[in-house]
Amino acid sequence: MPIIEKWLISKTHLFERLESLSREQTVIAPVRQSDGEVSFQPIRSADEITLEYVNELHPPKRFLQPVFEPLFTFNLGGARPQLTAAPPPSPQILFGVRSCDVQGFRHMDGFFSGAFKDDLYWQRRNQTTVISMACLQPADTCFCICCNGGPYLSDGFDLQLTDLGELFLAEVGSSKGAAIVQTCDRQSAGDKEERHRQALMQACDEKMIPTAYLAKAVIAITNQRVDEKLWEEMGLECFSCGGCTHVCPCCTCFEVLDHRETEKTGLRFRCWDSCQYAGFTREASGHNPRAQSKERVKRRFYHKLSFAYIQADGHPGCVGCGRCITVCQAFGLLDMAAVVKRIRREGQMVAE
Amino acid sequence: MQKLYLPQLAVIDQIVDETADTKTFTMHFDNPHYNAEFRYLSGQFVEASVLGVGEAPFGFCSNPNRTGTFAVTVRAIGRVTRAMHAMHPGDLLGIRAPLGNHFPLQEVQGYDILFVAGGIGLPPLRSLIEPMLDMREKFGRFTILYGARTPADRVYKTRLEEWAQRKDLTLLQTVDVPDETWNGPVGVVTTLFERTHIDPAATVAFTCGPPVMIRFVIQDLLAMGFPEDHIISTLERYMKCGVGKCGHCAIGHKYICVDGPVFSWRQIKKLPER
Repeated sequence: MPIIEKWLISKTHLFERLESLSREQTVIAPVRQSDGEVSFQPIRSADEITLEYVNELHPPKRFLQPVFEPLFTFNLGGARPQLTAAPPPSPQILFGVRSCDVQGFRHMDGFFSGAFKDDLYWQRRNQTTVISMACLQPADTCFCICCNGGPYLSDGFDLQLTDLGELFLAEVGSSKGAAIVQTCDRQSAGDKEERHRQALMQACDEKMIPTAYLAKAVIAITNQRVDEKLWEEMGLECFSCGGCTHVCPCCTCFEVLDHRETEKTGLRFRCWDSCQYAGFTREASGHNPRAQSKERVKRRFYHKLSFAYIQADGHPGCVGCGRCITVCQAFGLLDMAAVVKRIRREGQMVAE
Repeated sequence: MQKLYLPQLAVIDQIVDETADTKTFTMHFDNPHYNAEFRYLSGQFVEASVLGVGEAPFGFCSNPNRTGTFAVTVRAIGRVTRAMHAMHPGDLLGIRAPLGNHFPLQEVQGYDILFVAGGIGLPPLRSLIEPMLDMREKFGRFTILYGARTPADRVYKTRLEEWAQRKDLTLLQTVDVPDETWNGPVGVVTTLFERTHIDPAATVAFTCGPPVMIRFVIQDLLAMGFPEDHIISTLERYMKCGVGKCGHCAIGHKYICVDGPVFSWRQIKKLPER
């Protein structure tokens, strides 16, 4: 367990610091829109930042894996085609990221590592400073306490803040976080602040109803003992809209396409894709191994909850942010909390 | 730099018409140093780009022992493959390779070898047949069974004739629909099993072809008594990145592009969907 430096820093001071940093790099923070919704946006002034927000519907994964991301440009005009790698991303600070989304980043970090390290992702990731915000305002759909996704974390952030009123309790998780704290007026945090934070977190825990007990579903899916009838039922309920995957902090699937801007020039890009779309596995011949939506729903939960994936990733593919509950069009039947409940209650085949 | 998704340019040396809709492209990398260093193994694949159109995966069909050039056999069926078919020698493709795992070659020495191929399933197996024939003495009985829709749908017709002349291997061919040129067997490829002598305990079988053919071949091999890990096949899926990231080719927790495309029946049968 790393020893985490804890400091008390003034809110006003940190906000001023973020404002001045926004002259040098992109600072993204929760901003209240004119319609009242809060979303993560680039800011130029500290006045734009709000701390009164329930998490945004769209996870901040888009700042690490953009919806649309050029891989390279090509120019076919010369004697030889010219391929030019996309320019390296510029540094960014993500301020106010909730714990669940920090866990989502860590999931992405793991996935984009390995034998084929995704250099494009890591260029962006290494240029990113994550200032997370321990959660005091869970939505009524939140279940991070079921998934080790919050409301606060012991690592994974560059700097973790807890809102103590006039002051932030600031926990340093990396040298990038330390660099920010070092430029702020600060004093050491002690047991008193730690107890204050514990009380706040306790209150947050109590606001959440632990709706998603994953364990039984993990066992049933791993052993392929979920009743096929339940997948069929869920397949009929699913609209294949892909909403659950787009708002999921752990979903990373992408499509790769070429786009011509002129007859001779253009780019290859990747963009978000969804395993819930019928075309996701359709081959050129027309053969489609997951043509039916029951197969696609099954695929989604296999990826999130099977032991093989949990073993590879170190954790289930869910951080308990509850966004799939908000976004699912299927009347509350196909989000993570609903599905694990259905598998637990009615979906298991009797052991032979 | 983003090497993972950035292709290398390759020059097409030769395009051979195999069937009405299938061509073999032989090529080499434009960068001489890269080309000299380039190595691959039987069973691996390339991601080939027609810049501005897109990228698609193809198994090597060439002999990995013959360095300097490599080849893929491509059926015109989608956007990228049609664009490839419109290309000419001297044209440039983008290539990312080698990708994926490979066929066991050293591990199967001493065994009888059986190949069961259907239609355009022969190309990836050819990249294994030829290096095996380079060291023919390391293997026991050597049998190739090849089935196609019609005689004209067979790929590598010249090579098939060469193989048919060889005394150290048995090549049996069958077609679903014969024509006036055909005096060989008629029927699906599995009907050839009874025309050949196979000792399941001493044989390793490699099969590649349409999914339905593979299913029946594996069923018959198991019925003959083949051990599960002596049946080697390749799995195919719609594929984009080729490096286990885009998610399209996942079956269970395996990514066909990095954990495959070569799997034994023992591995395949454990997958939750197949």
